[in-house]
Amino acid sequence: MAVKILIPAPLRRFTEDRATVEVEASTVGEALAKLDELYPGIRERICESDGRVRRFVSVFVNGKDIRSLQGIDTPLSEGDEVGIIPAMAGGQ
Amino acid sequence: MIRMPRAAYEAIVAHARQEAPREACGLIAGHGDRIERVYPVPNRAELAVEFFAERGLIPPGRDYRPDAPGAIAVERFFMDPEEQFRVLREIEANGLEHLGSYHSHPATEAYPSRTDVELAAFWPGMLLLICSLREPERPVLRAFRVVDGRVHEEPIVVEG
Repeated sequence: MAVKILIPAPLRRFTEDRATVEVEASTVGEALAKLDELYPGIRERICESDGRVRRFVSVFVNGKDIRSLQGIDTPLSEGDEVGIIPAMAGGQ
Repeated sequence: MIRMPRAAYEAIVAHARQEAPREACGLIAGHGDRIERVYPVPNRAELAVEFFAERGLIPPGRDYRPDAPGAIAVERFFMDPEEQFRVLREIEANGLEHLGSYHSHPATEAYPSRTDVELAAFWPGMLLLICSLREPERPVLRAFRVVDGRVHEEPIVVEG
């Protein structure tokens, strides 16, 4: 399945400044593995060593946070968009 | 130097006042050094207690358990991830650049806290606007960039 991964600005230094990368994958985990084959090192910015998405990163399929779907096992269909963003947080 | 229209300045101050004593937060967009629009994003700090705790960003002796309603949100912000993502796409669709974020300090000065500096590392070099309501009748808005843990201030010029 061809899916589109949207790369957030802070991770584009891994992707030669590309904002979107297309890969063939049938789950989110597979898509992230394919992304890491193309751009080694990017997956560990997104996932813990056990594969779970890091707490300060959110991954979306068509705008839905995969924490409310099936995590990295969330299935993908042709044309799906996988979004990735680091948290924005702070405080006084 | 950062330029911004008066409407954007007033939108940030109004959002800060509306959320007080909680922190308000949102994204800012425009072109280059010119802010054109601000986008409020809901603060979900109460759902991110573990996120702050694992970074040692909860002061000792404070009760920030999630069942103490809203407690952490008074001194922290954590943007709702789905809404943050949706707004980033909207900014792109509007032909604007994502320039950074804003948040309020309801009771402290308009300067990045240790928490702000540490968490800015996820978005290096982005603009960080802080609106202080320490003196409620005299809001203060300042702009910063955090690069490699160092804080640089950018003067703001409000236009119109």
